[in-house]
Amino acid sequence: MKTKMMQPKFMFFIFISLITVGCENTFDYSPYAIDFSEENRNVNQKNIEKLMATECDDTLTIAFTGDTHNFFDETELFVGKVNQNPAIDFVIHVGDIADFGLPKQFLWGNSMLSKLAVPYFVVIGNHDLIGNGSEAYLEMFGAFDYSFIYNKIKFVFINTNSLEFEYCGTVPDIRWLEGQLIPTEDFTKAIVIFHTPPSDIGFDATLSDDFHHTLGLYHNVLFVVHGHLHHHEIYYPFEGNLTYVNVYGAEHNKFNVIQISESSYEIETIGF
Amino acid sequence: MSSKYQKAPMKLKPSDFKILVVIFFLLLCVIPWTLGQTRQRTDSVKYKRFLPDYVKMQFAGGIGFLSPGVGYSFFKQRFEVSCFYGYVPEFVSADDLHSVSLQLTAKFFRFNAGKNIEVVPLNIGWFIHHTFGHEYWIKLPSYYPDEYYWWSPGRNSGVFVGGEVKTRFLGNKTPASGTAFYVRVGSRGLYIASKFGNASIPLSDIIEFGFGVSVYR
Repeated sequence: MKTKMMQPKFMFFIFISLITVGCENTFDYSPYAIDFSEENRNVNQKNIEKLMATECDDTLTIAFTGDTHNFFDETELFVGKVNQNPAIDFVIHVGDIADFGLPKQFLWGNSMLSKLAVPYFVVIGNHDLIGNGSEAYLEMFGAFDYSFIYNKIKFVFINTNSLEFEYCGTVPDIRWLEGQLIPTEDFTKAIVIFHTPPSDIGFDATLSDDFHHTLGLYHNVLFVVHGHLHHHEIYYPFEGNLTYVNVYGAEHNKFNVIQISESSYEIETIGF
Repeated sequence: MSSKYQKAPMKLKPSDFKILVVIFFLLLCVIPWTLGQTRQRTDSVKYKRFLPDYVKMQFAGGIGFLSPGVGYSFFKQRFEVSCFYGYVPEFVSADDLHSVSLQLTAKFFRFNAGKNIEVVPLNIGWFIHHTFGHEYWIKLPSYYPDEYYWWSPGRNSGVFVGGEVKTRFLGNKTPASGTAFYVRVGSRGLYIASKFGNASIPLSDIIEFGFGVSVYR
């Protein structure tokens, strides 16, 4: 005797129900399938709006992390530490949120950062571009080059991962950077954030002089911040006086905080 | 949203078909093994020896949204070699995806759960999965310094365990001998590497669950 379970119609019904459930991220179709839900889309823009809705006092305090790669536990600890510090106004991640560029790693990274009590911004790193990571970044965070003005300071985020674009000559997009730095009444200072520094092989060496020159063009860049090298260093390349700040990668269980006041800024290191 | 950096649309390069060629030759090498089995059957037409022992249709499991596959059984159905073509349509991903995978399965136990039902409860398998498209490279592109990245986005492998229930469904009305329903639970190297040392990543996040139907010859 055939039981009800074995009837083809019943099996078909089960199959269809499972497929319906499957459309809600229960099943894996490919490591490269990008199917982000609303909270994982357009994250940078949403955080800009969140930041614009906040009031700032005299001192702006920014926490920097980056190169989180496969250091998800460390990233979670970092988030916990930042949430304990009410002085921090927002967080900047200097790139490499997805070690293999996998959509799932973007989701893991963002699931940690989205627990931050303050707004956060992510710049694109070279690892984030592998496979279809560039598309995952566009879906999750938005444009590779973007900027916003907060408290009369312009924050400029730029893709400097030239090698991932086969040194095509337009990464970094120096003309876009120049346009962003042209002085207006809306801002008095600018801070430029990117992942790969000009001294690295990942940065197109034929563009590094022009890049550095453009940063100094209007004498309004307070300092630049980058990651990629995982350690912390404050240095002055190209025999200039523009400050480059390399911030800690998450695996060192340390992060850098920069406090910016009207007349000066201070860089400190905090452990977690 | 800026799209000026968006890479060229996915194209199938001739080199992408290398793995297909490898699978083809692998099948050619193993077909003689099947002759011993097929000789005992009453098939008088010789070409039937070369027909696959089963066809499959799998849902999910990390190798495609829907993946049709074919394969051969060896050693009294204790070992299977299957290859799948996997397709991911745009309604479940930002881009549609095409891939192939080669799968080796060992089936250790089996028992009858009724006159026409056979249960194959513990299968262990290994798969290698290749996604087509220039961004899913296998060999590090020449513009990178040597060993710049240690893995290949275009080809990665994983392991799975699964179970199967074989029935006589379709066996009476068609030339098929029966139909099996199977499930599989696995993970791949890149996910396992991501989970390693990270208690904050739920184990369920690195599991690829899939199920499917096999129709046996």
